[in-house]
Amino acid sequence: MPYSPYTSYLRQTGTNHEFASRDGYEAPGVERIEDLKILITAARSPLPRLLAHSLEAAGHEVRLTDRADLSPLRRFVPSDLDHTAATNELVRGMDAIIHPGDVDPGASVSEQLDYQMRCTYNLLWAAVEESVPRFIYLSSLILLDGYHPAYAVTERWKTTPTTDAPALCYHLGEIVCREFAREGRIRVTVLRLGEITSPSNTDPSTSALYEDDAAQAVDKALTCEHSGWLDIHHVQSAVPGARFLVGQPWWSADDFPPVSLGYTPSQRD
Amino acid sequence: MKVLILGANGMLGPHVIKALEERHELRLSDINELDTPHEYLQVDAADIDQVTAAAEGMDAIINLSVMRLDRRLAFDVSARGCYNMMAAAVQHGIRRIINTGPFYAVAGPTYERFDHLIGPDVPPQPGTFLYSFTKCLGQEICRVFTTQYDVYVMDLLFYMFLDPDAHDTESESPIANLGRDLVPYTVSWRDAADSFRCALDVDLDLLPSRSEIFFVFPDLPHQKFCNQKARSLLGWEPRDQLEQYWKKSPG
Repeated sequence: MPYSPYTSYLRQTGTNHEFASRDGYEAPGVERIEDLKILITAARSPLPRLLAHSLEAAGHEVRLTDRADLSPLRRFVPSDLDHTAATNELVRGMDAIIHPGDVDPGASVSEQLDYQMRCTYNLLWAAVEESVPRFIYLSSLILLDGYHPAYAVTERWKTTPTTDAPALCYHLGEIVCREFAREGRIRVTVLRLGEITSPSNTDPSTSALYEDDAAQAVDKALTCEHSGWLDIHHVQSAVPGARFLVGQPWWSADDFPPVSLGYTPSQRD
Repeated sequence: MKVLILGANGMLGPHVIKALEERHELRLSDINELDTPHEYLQVDAADIDQVTAAAEGMDAIINLSVMRLDRRLAFDVSARGCYNMMAAAVQHGIRRIINTGPFYAVAGPTYERFDHLIGPDVPPQPGTFLYSFTKCLGQEICRVFTTQYDVYVMDLLFYMFLDPDAHDTESESPIANLGRDLVPYTVSWRDAADSFRCALDVDLDLLPSRSEIFFVFPDLPHQKFCNQKARSLLGWEPRDQLEQYWKKSPG
């Protein structure tokens, strides 16, 4: 069978042609597995909680973790994401890991940097060692704030990190992911998310991302086709004057078909 | 110039001190004890308060600190240590930083195995190897600081060092053996140390940007890597060309 990077996540059923592979192979029929085992880190933050709720509602089995002990949170396993067997045990058997790059605003800059660099490195190594097939890093569109809002900024543009802790942490977290992906150790998807906002916000920023759109993007990232190493997707909502373009296919110098997340922001009144 | 050296008790430290001590006022620091006639402070590079205190009153910082094997310490020293150094430099208005690392913090296995004429300005591909990766992160932290603040970072990258007068050429050295070639990124200790003198002397306004990376090794004929930038921008002139290793032995 020709190489199809997503076959480990998809079950052939002979009914669905939604997903087409990148190299001419078209699956005879595929359907999403709906009982993926998913680990979500940084459980103390609002977005991971929201994602856990959404993914469980979709039939997935979710495990939450955080360095802080959040017991008795359901399906919660505390972890310092250290270089120990406990981190391997945490990720064992998972089909995907969702690792938000959010930093704990209560932590020192030094602690935040340590988490984004060392802990992400530990988590990725554990995932590789335990053969977890997919790693989703939740980064931020603030990494592209350095460009004029009039520019048509897409994933092809170089990031413009600053020394502010959140931006620097996202940037360094992306670098950790990038090197694992470069070596082909694990398939990494980076979602650069807009500013998370609730559905009730009637005056969103131009880079706003409504919670349901964020959940949709993460859901797509769990099963979308993958280039085989590092895929980056920008994700924001359809708001007035939306600053960043979404859904732009990755440019490729060869004839490789573009990779698409399949994310479509909800239209709102 | 008043120069703080972080990690002064490492392998390269004594050579750098020897190259600089006659012309500069040195403040040495290391996590370990150090017996020296120069001013000495015991400093953990991973502790921002200690680094900030050590940097007060300095004109330049040289970072020789390194931790290669332990995962936590490698991140603490090589990556977070750079953040601490740069934060200290900004706080004290220190504009000249000389950082160090291995060449493969830039040109990792994805370059090394296939390509030639590799210069220091290629996009960094360190891979996941702990040492090079943590050094690359530190280097990137330094670079980001230079985009925001008026501070210059020169990254001097090395790999193998030897003393051509003392290197045991009869051994099965992994670095160099007489007439049997050498690692194509090898430099003598004294030439390596001299690059720091050059980096302290160079006019910062003549550098193309506030963050510049240099490959430091002599004119080896392999054409694997490129040292031209160190020669042209820093004015570094290696004295030891190490030809006894890359030329066949007579007879």
